[in-house]
Amino acid sequence: MPELSRRDFLKLTTNTLLTASGLLGLGALFRFFGYQTEPPPQTAFDLGEASSYPIDSRTLLPNVPALLLHTDQGFSALSLVCTHLGCTVESKGKGFACPCHGSKYDIQGNVLTGPAKKQLNALRVEITPDGNLILHTD
Amino acid sequence: MYRRLLFIGSAVLLTVILLAWQQGLRTPKPITLTPTLTGKTEYCITCHADLPEISKSHPLKTFGCVSCHGGERLALNADLAHSSMRGGANPSDLSAVEMSCGGSNCHSGSEADNRDHIQRVMTSVQSTYAGAIANIRFTFGAQTDLAAHLGINAITDEHTQTGITELDAFDAATETNPMVQKFGENCLTCHINAIPRDGDTYTRQTGCAACHSTEKHTLTTAIPYNQCNACHNRGNYDLRAMTFIERTDQPTKRIQDYYQPIAQFTQCEYTLDCVDCHTRSEVMGDGDIHANQKDIQYVQCQTCHGTMTNLPQIKTITDPNDIALKMAFLNPVLDLKLGDAILVTEKGEPLWNTRVLPDGTYELIGKATSQRFNFRPVMGTACEQKPDEQGSQYCHACHAVER
Repeated sequence: MPELSRRDFLKLTTNTLLTASGLLGLGALFRFFGYQTEPPPQTAFDLGEASSYPIDSRTLLPNVPALLLHTDQGFSALSLVCTHLGCTVESKGKGFACPCHGSKYDIQGNVLTGPAKKQLNALRVEITPDGNLILHTD
Repeated sequence: MYRRLLFIGSAVLLTVILLAWQQGLRTPKPITLTPTLTGKTEYCITCHADLPEISKSHPLKTFGCVSCHGGERLALNADLAHSSMRGGANPSDLSAVEMSCGGSNCHSGSEADNRDHIQRVMTSVQSTYAGAIANIRFTFGAQTDLAAHLGINAITDEHTQTGITELDAFDAATETNPMVQKFGENCLTCHINAIPRDGDTYTRQTGCAACHSTEKHTLTTAIPYNQCNACHNRGNYDLRAMTFIERTDQPTKRIQDYYQPIAQFTQCEYTLDCVDCHTRSEVMGDGDIHANQKDIQYVQCQTCHGTMTNLPQIKTITDPNDIALKMAFLNPVLDLKLGDAILVTEKGEPLWNTRVLPDGTYELIGKATSQRFNFRPVMGTACEQKPDEQGSQYCHACHAVER
């Protein structure tokens, strides 16, 4: 094995350090530009085939949270987010009650007792051409 | 020379990049939470997932952390994340409470909606200490009457019902009487703005948490008597030396735990918790500035037991928005419903943890213990109390227990 001169050793080491720095720097650059910000909250929920929800059914959608209603008038949905401070209301008796501060709503989402002052929000339900239900919360 | 500089430069560059990389690896992977109330992502639970839910009314999923605590919601470095927190670890400290707990939907709304908690606390004697300050200043000639002029902090009340529209801030440094100065230095550790004295026994927090936080990171309206003891039974003032003497005894029985050596107690006074009888306006204030404690504290034995000639006041709950139902909702020790009859105080405040039983007696359910106590009115008993002596001190003459 040929002996390395001091000059060649320094040159090799410098090149190695520069190459490593460059590669690491490039990695950092890719990481910087590839940074994903937090995605915005989901506002459209695919509920699958409309035929899965028979007429007169009331389906709780806990991950939205919402209640999907299917009547002979068609599909509708009610947000289960309390209009006072945003807790998820629970089905109680013939209506809904907020477990946080005690607001009560009737089955249509109208306020029965506060502190909430506004009724539960009605949500838009869309039926796609291929028969799927999409629930919009925005 | 050029090559040497290039060598050193490349070595420094590599070191810097490696250190930055290592720092990046050490940063925890964020755990995200997007509370419904704000819709803004927070990383706080990356480090604080072990904390208990603060209360049923403040669920983490809805409120997150930043709504109440402030702080940098996307920081993963502890110092940076905590740098803009309100009130340190206690956002309910009165210096920060309006920012943390206020807002018309929360605790600084209208009186009509029963959401004026902050105004009530700020003007209460628990915060102003106005009576004690006036008494001491009057005693030592610093003021000519017993009226409340000063409080711990300056406070105003635009809608006063008591005639006191404002208090200026008490400042011991501007007092000339040495006893008043000493009072300022030694005797102001009870009001709920004050940092408690050292010692584990009487540890408490400030602001709302002074009463409502009985365990770490919790808020409750089921407040046991020993939470009140943190201020109210930890010793006595020595007015000659103008200092506070902490109690040194180690009580083993509950009746001994209530200090005040000269006080007398009936059985219910030391069996129940303070909040079982004393109302929210007595304890938290009624929104007006009062000159002293006796102007706001009014519940006596007769409030629940009546007198020889009058039964205690009762009311049937007919309004679904009745404050009694709301309070029972927050602390469901009983299933209070429309149509139930409960006792009310002389000022009409509901004693929502009571109910009138069909046989004419009454039941009280302990707010902190859920214990049930049956009791009866004075009327119809052999009580011989004079009609003009209806204060609790007269009841104590016969009914106080041996201590």
